[in-house]
Parts: sequence; C-alpha cells; structure tokens
Amino acid sequence: MGPVSAPQRLTPRQSVALVWRTLRSMRTALILLLMIALASVAGSLLPQWPNTPERVMRYRADHPVWGTFLDRAGLFDVFGSWWFVLLTTLLFVSLVACLVPRTRALWRALRTPPMQAREIDAFPRYAQVAVAAGPDQVIDAARRVLRRHRFRVARDPSRPALAGEKGLAREIGSLGFHWALILLLTGVIYGKGTGFSGLIAVVEGQTWVDAEANYDGTIRAGRFFDGDFTGTGLRLREFRSDFQRTGQPMDFVSRVDLLDPDGSVTRREDIRVNHPARIEGLWIHQSSFGWAPVIEVTDGGQVAASGPVVMDRDPAPEGVVEFAMPWRGVVKLPGAGTDGLDRAIELELWPDSRALTALLAEQEPQAMLVEFDPIIRFSVWEGALTDLSTNRLDTTGLDEVSSGIVGAGRTADLADGAALAAGDAGSGATISFTELRQYSVFQVGRDAGVPLVLAAAILVLVGLLPALYSSRRKVWVRADPDGHGSLLRVGGLAMQRKPQFEEEFDRLVGALVSSAGGRRAPDPGAGGPGPEQREPEEHEKVQTP
Amino acid sequence: MTDLQWARISNDAFNVALFAYIAAMVGYFAHLAFKRDAIWQTARVVAVAGVVANIVSIVARGFAADRVPWGNMYEYSSLLALLVVIGALVVVEGVYKVRSLTGFALMFSVLTMAVAVSFLYVGPGPLVPALNSYWIKIHVQAAIWGSSLFALGGIATIAYLVVDRVERRSLDALGSKDRPPIMGGALDLDADAPADLVPDSAEDVETRPAKRRLVPSAAGLDRLAYRIIALAFPIWTFAVIAGAVWAQEAWGRYWGWDPKETWSFITWVIFAGYLHARATNGWKGRRAAFIALVGFASLLVTYYVVNLWIVGLHSYAK
Ligand code: HEM
Repeated sequence: MGPVSAPQRLTPRQSVALVWRTLRSMRTALILLLMIALASVAGSLLPQWPNTPERVMRYRADHPVWGTFLDRAGLFDVFGSWWFVLLTTLLFVSLVACLVPRTRALWRALRTPPMQAREIDAFPRYAQVAVAAGPDQVIDAARRVLRRHRFRVARDPSRPALAGEKGLAREIGSLGFHWALILLLTGVIYGKGTGFSGLIAVVEGQTWVDAEANYDGTIRAGRFFDGDFTGTGLRLREFRSDFQRTGQPMDFVSRVDLLDPDGSVTRREDIRVNHPARIEGLWIHQSSFGWAPVIEVTDGGQVAASGPVVMDRDPAPEGVVEFAMPWRGVVKLPGAGTDGLDRAIELELWPDSRALTALLAEQEPQAMLVEFDPIIRFSVWEGALTDLSTNRLDTTGLDEVSSGIVGAGRTADLADGAALAAGDAGSGATISFTELRQYSVFQVGRDAGVPLVLAAAILVLVGLLPALYSSRRKVWVRADPDGHGSLLRVGGLAMQRKPQFEEEFDRLVGALVSSAGGRRAPDPGAGGPGPEQREPEEHEKVQTP
Repeated sequence: MTDLQWARISNDAFNVALFAYIAAMVGYFAHLAFKRDAIWQTARVVAVAGVVANIVSIVARGFAADRVPWGNMYEYSSLLALLVVIGALVVVEGVYKVRSLTGFALMFSVLTMAVAVSFLYVGPGPLVPALNSYWIKIHVQAAIWGSSLFALGGIATIAYLVVDRVERRSLDALGSKDRPPIMGGALDLDADAPADLVPDSAEDVETRPAKRRLVPSAAGLDRLAYRIIALAFPIWTFAVIAGAVWAQEAWGRYWGWDPKETWSFITWVIFAGYLHARATNGWKGRRAAFIALVGFASLLVTYYVVNLWIVGLHSYAK
C-alpha cells in the first residue's frame, strides 16, 4: 500500500510526512474502498453473531476447527471486528487528509479572482476575430457577456484582458459529498454509542413502563449509553391480526395508550409493522405477537397464582407451518405441592381446538389463525424446581402427577384433571382458564443519531449531483488595438465535459463578437488576421488509428 | 374486468414482450452484421412494440393484484427488463447515438424475463405487511432504475474491453511500438498538456463517441460507460437511503447488515471505487473497467443470490 518502504532511515518528521502523503493518495483511498467491499462480502456469506446467532452455532458445531479459527478472526462478526473498524478508521483518516487541503484550495479559489493568462493562444480552445469596437469597449462588453453567462470575471489591471471562470459547483459538490460522509459516520457512531434497543412483551390490558428491569432478556446498549430510562408507559388495549387463507400475515396492529411517567395518557396510537410510535425519543416498533391465556390456580380454596401466561411456540418441523404449532407456557409454584415440594403446571394451548381434533384424528397439521374454542392441555409436575426465571420447564427432578384439559372459561381439578362445574371446588386445587388474550412484542429503542444521519445522507445525495454532472471551465479574453478596431482573442479550457464545452465556447465567442460591435472587414491592405477559429489539437480529434 | 382476467392479460402481454425483444435482438445483431439501416429501423419498431407490451403487462399486473406491480422478484424482473430496453433506446441510442449496444441490452432483458417466467413466477397477490409501505415503493423503484442503468453501464464496459482489445491487436499487427496516447482511452489523454492545465478529472477529452461509426472507438465506449454509471450512481445512492429510511420504519434500525443491505452497500462501494479509479493515475481505462465489471457482478448477486439463496429479513421479497 503506497511507498511505505524507504531506502534510508527517515527522521520521525519525514516518516509522518510520508504516512500523511500515503494516506492522501487516491490510490490508498481506492484500495481501502475495495478492501471494505471485500470484507463486507465475507460478512454476508458467513453467518453473523448479531444477525443469526443460531446459524453461527450450527456452523461452529459442523466445523469445529475451522469455525473456531473463523470466530477468532472475527469473521462471524465482521462489522464489529477490530480489523473492520481499523479499515474504516483508516479510510476516514485518509478522507480527512484529502479533504483538508482540497477544502483550503477551494476556499482560496472562491476568494481569489480568476487568474490571468500570459499565452492566451495555448489553450485547447482558441479563437481570434477582428471586431469593430476599441479594446476597452470590447473588454467592458465582454465582461457583461461573461457575467450574463454566470462566469466569475476578473479584469487584468495591466492590459485590456479578462479572465473568467465557471463551475466551482463541481468541487463544492464533491467536497460537500465527502464531508457529508464524515458527518454520516459521526451520526452513526453518536446514535449507536448513546442509544440502546430491547424487546418487550405486553399482554392485552397490561401496562409496561420503560425501566431497565422491564425489558425481556438483554438490552443491546451502546458504549456510552447513560442508563437513563424515561419512565414513560405503554398500555396495550387490543391486538388484532389478519391473515390470508394461505396463513400469510396480512396486517397486525397493536392499539396502545402511551402514558406519561405519572401514568396519564398522552395519546392513543396504532402501532403496525411499518408504523412505529415515538415518545420521549423512544421508537416503539411492532415486532411479533402471540397468545397469553389468563390462568387462575387455586389451592385449598386460596388463589395461588393468577394472571396471563405469555406463551411461546416450538419451532415448526420441516413442512409444517409455524401457525400449526401449539403454544407452550408454564406456571411455577414453589413450595405449593404436596409435602412442600415445588409444583409446576405445564400448559399447551390450542387457540383453535379444531386443529387439535384434526391432529388427534391423524389428519394434516392445521394452521391456527383465529381463536376458536381454545383449549389448554396441562400437566402437573412436582419435585424440586431448578430454575424459576424462564418460561420453560426443565423436568429433571420432577415427576408428573396428573394431567388434563381445560377449555376457555372453564375450571378443572388439578388432582385428576377432571372438569369441574361452576362452584364445584373439587379437590381444592383447581386451574381455571379464564380467558384468552393476545400479547404483542415491541422493539423499544433510542437512537439520537437518526436525524443527523438522515441530514448527512441528504447532503451526500445533494453533493453528488453537481460533483458528477457539472464541469469547471475557464475562458480568457484579450483585445489588442488593430487598425480601426481591435483584435479579439479568446482562449478556453474545460476540465470536464470537453465536447459540450466546444459548443458552449463557440456560442460564447459569437456572443462576444456581437457585443464588440460585430466582425470587422479586414483593413484594406493590412492583410491582418481575418476571422479564424483554430482547429482542435490533433489528439483531440483522433478516433481510430 | 376481474382480477383473473387482468392476470391473464398481464401474462399474455409478458409473453408478447419477451418474443418482441427476442425478435428485436436478432434484428439488432443482424444490423451489426450487415450494417443495413432498414434492418435497424425494423428492429427498433419491434423493440418499441415490446416495450408497449411490457408496460401493458406491468400495468395489468397491478390491476390484478390491486397494488403497485413491484412486490416480488417476478415483478422486479419484468420492470428491470423494461427499463433496460427503454434505457438502451432513449439514453444510449437517443442521447449518445450509439446503436450497437441495443442488441446486447435486449439480450440482457430477454435473459432476465426468461429467468423470471421460468423460475420466479408467482400469481398476483397482496403484499406481506412489511412490504406495505410508502418507502418500500420508492426504494424498489429507485433500486430498479439504478440497476437498469448499471446493467447498461456494464454492457458498455464489456463492449469497451472487447473493442479495446481489438484495437490493441490491430495496432500490434501494424508493428507499431509507440502507441499514440489515445489508444483505448486507457492512457492519460492529457499527458502532453501543460502540467498546470491537466484536469484531475474522471473524464477524458471527449465525451461523445464517434458519430458516424456503428461501433464507437474504445475511448468512446469507455466514456459512454462512465456517463451511464455516473447517472446510475446517485440513483442507487438514493435507493440505499430510501431503503434505510424504510428499515428504520419497519424494524427500528436504519442499518443492520442484513445480507440485502450488505450487498447493496458492496455494490455502492465498488462503483464509488470505479468513480475514484477513473480519477486515479494508473487505474484509468481497463483497470477501472474491471472494477465496473465487479460492480456489475455484485449487482447481480444483490439481485438474484441474496433474494433467492441467502436468508435475511428481506427474504420474503421473493
Ligand atoms: C469514504 C469513502 C469515499 C467514498 C464513498 C468516495 C466516493 C466518491 C465518489 C462517489 C466520487 C465521485 C463524485 C465526486 O466527484 O465527488 C468521488 C470523487 C472523488 N474522491 Fe472520493 N470517496 C471516498 C473517499 C475519498 C478519499 C479518502 C479521497 C482522497 C484520496 C477521495 C478523493 C476524491 C477525489 C479527488 C474525487 C474527485 C474525482 C473527480 O475529479 O472526479 N475520496 N469520491
């Protein structure tokens, strides 16, 4: 990468200068860009921890040695790896190194008038015409013409001559574009660094409050996250989902009240997949949803547990739609079993009991898209519970003591699973399936960098347009006394889009000539230069050998 | 008319467009071989007929599905094929007066449509909720417009590399040791200009390819490719930004290195590299062209491989 190896020892100062020069070169920028592209390819072909952790684990299980190597090398988290960060840093240091001198040069160019030329006929475009007006008049008129064509114009103090320049927008756009890239990166780092994101599950009718303990699982927080939660709340009034007959979800919507920290309702909103809610800098997005039956367990006439149970589904086996899978949950009651043993009631919910009937009749698994006579199959376990925190039941050390089925709005006896009529207390230990509710999972997060990133992205786009489509060009005009009028000489140079400039230049010369009183017939006998357009240089014309 | 009738019309018009494109392609290649203007004019009319049928197919599809007709890979392909042909007719033939690339553009569209109808066809139906957004509609449009121009840029780049090779060969055959600086557009055309006048620009001396020749010079094709890619790049940039706005709305993060996002970023970076290469000494001409080809390949990966084989949040887009 560049001239890093030096033949003789460099002073520290020289080395710094060398590194700086290397960083500033277009070649370095190009190579860094291509290396970032290459690294990204690796990041998309290999499974990545932040996106698909389960696939990384499967990959590592399938390829123990190779997988460990890739993991060490950061290839399962390319975009968070030290070498990707290093590449990005180098690219942006290089970018600053390029931009500082270019910006200074632009600043100077904007404040200094266009430079005068000594040899006007050496430019790629050149024309000379004898015109009727005198030199000073020609120059004054030319100045107006160039101004009208939006050139910046400077008059030569020493003779009747002008320099004009146009199209600095190209460089302004290009610099704006590149600086905006730096702004974009700043916004990303700021937003991700100070922000966080987490998931919450809220059951219909329940209220969630923004506090660290109320998030499910881990919160993904940036390095500079200040740990402040807002205390604002969200109450899920209702969740609705619509499906196509194929089981493809059509629309799902959570109707919520957003609450102030003091509990008063700020506003109502419908949160949908493409329609998040925003409150106090928090973004609240619809993520997923599921069923939460309200269960009441009594023991000896006392309520032992009561409330909605948030349920999960097992992953569907090959060839079965996920909506055909029953939902699972568990109620854990430490010390509530016989002789002070722990008790756990495992629940299996069939929101549409026709699917269970079909399955028992050995038909195809059916998707359960609507609520229809929901039932819960339960089994009661006793023993020593190892883990009280999760929604899952680890049955080691537990014995199944009974099982049964309970429908929505019904009660069953826990001891033998028998259904109980209303008012019948049975053995005294009962389970009631009071009602079926839904829960909705939201992604809640904060990213204060979003407005900055968006503004930077717009600047990137706006800067690109002049950078790619405008062109910088310069003209010089000179008028020397010539017989009764003057000899108008015009030189031109375009940095880009040269063929278009040929036409523009010819039109400009025409306008200059007519503003200078028009062409003058050659003075008799003088043999002076008549109207002359110089042909473009040989190499500009050549197309083929 | 019922949805079913609209769907029938859409499918029939699709087939008409496909066959018209095939016929026009053959015509354009015949024009390249026999250099007869009448062949060109006929082929052009057939291509325009194909464009009309293609538009009918897309519009009818929209009526059949009761939504914008760009919601899955089949529909993207149809739109992409249409825009590539329109781009070839309007931009390449119309603005830059180059007829010799249209046959290849038609070939690209024919392949795209053939793949679409054989492997990607799905009946018209509603969108999944995540795709039902204002921004996705804009994002997809911009992505397809950008892709179609990149595809044309890729075709011009391939043509440049081929013609450049032929020119070099014929020069070698002449036994010439010192190549004139114009050759292949690969060398710095301003090499002999005064040092302070050398523009540090991505462009060369002339932008328009030779007018009277059927196949432009290598240098002309090189510039044509640059012009088209420079047109595509901001559109692609906009598509990526619109996609990020949509991702922020739908998933609460504007960027997550999902495979689709990653590949559109890769494509963007490679073409940014191409624009740089054109302004970097030693990288102009053929090296820059190879970068553009890599970008073109990356575009195809973004479009086919990611949508069909790599799992990600976008995978329902098929
Ligand atoms: C962060 C990564 C970068 C990206 C994505 C990027 C992208 C681009 C793009 C798209 C262009 C063409 C539009 C324009 O003229 O402004 C361009 C031009 C340019 N870039 Fe960059 N660039 C990057 C970094 C750099 C760096 C580090 C340098 C310094 C060597 C640099 C120097 C230039 C120059 C001098 C031009 C103008 C070339 C011309 O005259 O056409 N860029 N860049």
